[in-house]
Amino acid sequence: MSNRSLAGAIGVLAAGALLVSAQLVAQSSDSEIPRTAAGKPNFQGHWSSATVTPLQRPQELADKEFFTPEEFAEYEAGRLVVTETEANTAGDVHYQLVDFGLDRSQNDRAVNLRTSIITAPADGRIPSTTPEAQAIAAERRAYSQEHAYDSASNRPLAERCITWGHNGAPMTPVGYNSNNQIIQTGDHLVFVQEMMQEPRIIPLDGRDRISAEIPQWFGSSRGHWEGDTIVVETTNYTGLTNRNITPTGKVTERFTMTGPDTVLYQFTVDDPKVWTSTWSGEYSMSRTEGPMFEYACHEGNYGLPNILSGIRAEEAAGLR
Amino acid sequence: MNRQVGSRFVAGHPPYAKLRCGLMLSVVALSIACQPQEAVVDSGQQAAAQAASTAGPANGAIARTAAGVPQLDGVWQAMSSANWDLEPHAARQGASEVLGAIAAVPPGLGVVEGGRIPYLPDALEQRDQNFANRRTEDPEAKCFRPGIPRATYMPQPFQIFQTDSEIFIAYQYAISSRSIYMQDHIDAPVDSWMGWSNGRWEGDTLVVEVTGLNGQTWLDRAGNFASANARVTERYTPEGQNHMWYEATIDDPTVFERPWTLSLMLHRVMDQPNPELLEFKCVEFAEELMYGHLSKAAVQSEGGTGNE
Amino acid sequence: MKTTYGILIVGALALVSVGVRAHHAFATEFDVERPVELTGIVSKVEMINPHSWIHIDVTEAGGATTTWMIEGGSPNALYRQGITKNSVPLGAELFVFGYQARDGGMRAVGRTITFSDGRALFFSGTQVPDEVD
Repeated sequence: MSNRSLAGAIGVLAAGALLVSAQLVAQSSDSEIPRTAAGKPNFQGHWSSATVTPLQRPQELADKEFFTPEEFAEYEAGRLVVTETEANTAGDVHYQLVDFGLDRSQNDRAVNLRTSIITAPADGRIPSTTPEAQAIAAERRAYSQEHAYDSASNRPLAERCITWGHNGAPMTPVGYNSNNQIIQTGDHLVFVQEMMQEPRIIPLDGRDRISAEIPQWFGSSRGHWEGDTIVVETTNYTGLTNRNITPTGKVTERFTMTGPDTVLYQFTVDDPKVWTSTWSGEYSMSRTEGPMFEYACHEGNYGLPNILSGIRAEEAAGLR
Repeated sequence: MNRQVGSRFVAGHPPYAKLRCGLMLSVVALSIACQPQEAVVDSGQQAAAQAASTAGPANGAIARTAAGVPQLDGVWQAMSSANWDLEPHAARQGASEVLGAIAAVPPGLGVVEGGRIPYLPDALEQRDQNFANRRTEDPEAKCFRPGIPRATYMPQPFQIFQTDSEIFIAYQYAISSRSIYMQDHIDAPVDSWMGWSNGRWEGDTLVVEVTGLNGQTWLDRAGNFASANARVTERYTPEGQNHMWYEATIDDPTVFERPWTLSLMLHRVMDQPNPELLEFKCVEFAEELMYGHLSKAAVQSEGGTGNE
Repeated sequence: MKTTYGILIVGALALVSVGVRAHHAFATEFDVERPVELTGIVSKVEMINPHSWIHIDVTEAGGATTTWMIEGGSPNALYRQGITKNSVPLGAELFVFGYQARDGGMRAVGRTITFSDGRALFFSGTQVPDEVD
C-alpha cells in the first residue's frame, strides 16, 4: 500500500492522540504534582524524551516557531512513515528498526507543537561558530580524513562507546531508547539517560565546584532550587566531544514539572569560544513505565573491532 | 587526534575545609578522627560513636529515614585487598612486570569465611586458567562493568542514593550503577552485567538478592568467578555512622560445592566535607589492550592483515 | 503478504541527534556487495547492547555446519514489551537476508530475519500495520 495512505492513517491516529493528550494536560493541575516530604516537586521516576521534533528547525520554516495542531499532525505522520530501502544499496545495510521496536511509532512521545527544540536564536538553529572554533574543527576534520581507521582511538566517540551526541548537558532526545530515570534525594538529583546509562550526579547542597583542572566528558554539575524549578549549571567540559563545549563553556538547565506526568526541560549553552551567541532550547519529557534496562555499550561492542578488522582486510587486499 | 581526557591535566588539590580533629583511643587502634565543622554531630559524639563502633554492633548514632531504617546516603569505599584476591595470599608479582612494584599484588588476610572458595574441581581449573590469563582476560582490565559483589570492593568509591522505592548506587569505576528495588519485586527479566537487585530491610540490615548476573564478570583480579547461575545475597549493616559491614553470599551450584560468604568493612569517604564521585570512564584506557592488534600500525609492522 | 518495511528516512533521523542509529556506520562493518541469504538453527542468543547478536548454525550443501552471527538492534525496547531472550528459542529455524562482514567473517547484519512460517523475528502487536483502511 502506498506511503501516502499510510501517512494519512497515521495522521488521523496522531491527531487523535494529540487531542487526548491535550485534554490530559488541561486537566492536570499544580496540586497533583507529587511532592516530597519537604514540599518540593518530586521528579523521581522514569521519563521518555522521545519526540519527532528536531533539534534544529528545518531552514525552510525560517522563523516559524510553532505548528498548528493540524500542521503538527501532518508533520508527525511524515516523520513516522517507514520507507523502503532498495536492496543492494548502502542504505539497505541495516537491521530493521521496526522489528526491534525501535522506530518512533512504538515510543511514548510528548506533545510538542514547536518546530524545533532550539528556541533561541530566532531561526531555531545552532548559531554560527567563531573563527577559532572553525579552525579547530577544520584541523580535526583534516586529521580524521587521513587517519579515520588507523586505530580504535581514531573512531568516533559513539562507535567507541565513550559518549554519544545526546549525552550530558544539554541532554537531547535520541531516535530510540530515549528514556531517562531520575532519582531524587534531599540533597541530590541523579539523572540517567538510558543510552549510555551513566548517572549524572547533581548535588543540590550548594557545595563548591571542583577544580577547573578536572575536565570530564560529562562536565561537572551543581544544582539549586529556584521555587519549584531545579536549576543546574555545568562546567568542566573537555572540548573533545561532538557537542564541542570547551573548558570555558557553561550550560544552564532548568527542570520544572508542569504536571504530574510532564517535566519541562530547558537549557542554555554559553561558550563564546565556540559560538557567536548563546543558544537555548526546550522540550518536555513524559512519564513512562520503568524499569530502565542496562545499556552496557562497551561490553557488547563487537562493532568496533569488526569495523577495524574489515578495514585491515580491505587494506591487505589493496582495496584501500 | 588522540588526546586523552585527564592525562595531560594536573589534578588540583581538593579544597580542604576547616577540620576539627579529635584524638581517640579505641579498643583496636589509636586513631585521629577528623570531621568538618559543619557536621551536625559534634566531634565528641563522633569520637564516641567511632570508638563504640569498633568495639561492638551498631548504636543509636546512625542517621535514619522517616521510616526509621538506617540512612545510607553518602560516598563509601572498601579499604580491603579483596579486589586483588579474595583468598588469603602473600605479596606477589603483578600481571605485568613492566610497571614494577606498582602493579605488584599486596598481601591479604583473605575475606572468604572459611578461608578458601569451595570450587568444584572443573571450576577450580577454570579459575586457575583465568589467573594465568588475567593480564588480558580480567574484565576490569577491559573496563567492563564489575558486577556484584565486585563493584562493592573496587579500589574506587561508590555513592548511595536512598529513596523509599529504590536505592540507587553509582560506582565511580566505569561509571557503573544499579537500582536496588525496594518495592514491587519481580524476578530478573533479563541478564545484565550488574544484575537485578531486590532489596528489603531486616532490622538495621539492608538485604539484597541479586540474580540475572550474566556470568561474564570476575570476583577479583585473581580470576575468581561465578557463573550466570549465581544468586548473590548481600547484607549491608551500618556500624556507627561511618562504617558499614558488608557480606555477600554466593550460591552457584554449577561452580561451587556450597554457598560461601565474603565479608569486609566499608568506610565512609570523609576526606572532604562534601565528597563526590569523579568520572572514571576507562574505555579509552583499555582500547590498546583490546583492539591494539587491529590497528594499522600493528598490522603493518606484522606484515599481515591482523586476521590470520 | 506483508509489506517489506524499510528503515526510517535518514534525513529525518539526522535532524534529531547524531546518535540515532549511528552507534556505528553499518556500511563500514558490512559489505553491500556481499548480500547473503541464510537458513540456520539458533544456537545462541546474545540480547545485548549496543546491538543484539543471534548465532545460527547453517548447514552447507556438502553437510558441513558453519555458525553465523547475525547482528540486530538494541533489545531494550523489546524488554519493555515483555520480550526476553527466551522468545528466540534455541533450535528454532530462522531465515536471514543480510549483508556479510567486510572482512569475510561469518557475520552478517540481518536486514530481514524471519521464522520459517514467515513471521518477523520480534513481530509485535504495536508494529505499524500493513494495511489501514
